[in-house]
Amino acid sequence: MPTRGELVALGLSASCAEVLGHLWDYLDDEIDGAGAARMRAHIGGCAECRAYAGAERCFLQGLAALKRELRAPRLLRERVARRLQREGCGCWERARRKDAG
Amino acid sequence: MLAVPDVTDRDAAFARDALPWLDDVYRFALSLTRDEPDADDVVQETYLRAYRSWHTFIPGTDCRRWLFTICRNVFLRSRERQRPTVDLEDGEQDAVAAASVYSAARERGYDDIYARLDLAPALRDALDTLAEPFRSAVILVDVEDMTYETAAEVMHVPIGTVRSRLFRGRRLLQEQLLTVAQDLGFAPAAVAA
Repeated sequence: MPTRGELVALGLSASCAEVLGHLWDYLDDEIDGAGAARMRAHIGGCAECRAYAGAERCFLQGLAALKRELRAPRLLRERVARRLQREGCGCWERARRKDAG
Repeated sequence: MLAVPDVTDRDAAFARDALPWLDDVYRFALSLTRDEPDADDVVQETYLRAYRSWHTFIPGTDCRRWLFTICRNVFLRSRERQRPTVDLEDGEQDAVAAASVYSAARERGYDDIYARLDLAPALRDALDTLAEPFRSAVILVDVEDMTYETAAEVMHVPIGTVRSRLFRGRRLLQEQLLTVAQDLGFAPAAVAA
């Protein structure tokens, strides 16, 4: 956990220690109900931690948005399809028919 | 006597359960190789191995996780790399360090740094330079939305290791974003508004 000195250097009180050390676990939904409730209550009542949590959410949303940007190129799909067909797999044709249907 | 699934059943199941994850596998492969032609090779080999080993896949389980595990193994084999041995004990230290990054941003007046930056290209650039194994942890959890537990299974490491790698990766990314903001000559938020 963060030391008192580290917290003071950040301009935060010792009561923010749990939030600082576990904010990402909380935002990742990796904390159990009681712990999450404790985090939620602290963040709701602490302007500093609320601002920090908001910034972290924004950062994580930016990372999550990268998923929408990057898709497998068409040539790669065709290459995988050809390789699987050589292996005797008719799955690609099935998927194509399904897409067309 | 056990019924032996025929080939068409197998192909249908493969089409239904494995093929829809091609984009996801490609993103993960690209994050590992950082090179498009290499990523293409890894993806092709991943699907080939998956098809050949389809009888080992347990229906109803997480096929994407299964494919990612194969993908990572294909990549490691292709590079003849041993599993990274970086082990970090304390995720909290990186969490606090990340708060320090934010604190530094605020001191410069960049309170809303992540909202003001053109985040997508800045994050892509930062991810490109992020070292393994931090990069895989960030990609699996933050981009591919896996739980720590699922990412741990893909990476073959304990959950605590995923968490510490993830936190270190995020902190390093945030440090880079702060540098980008400085390089861009960000004006303090109050002045820019």
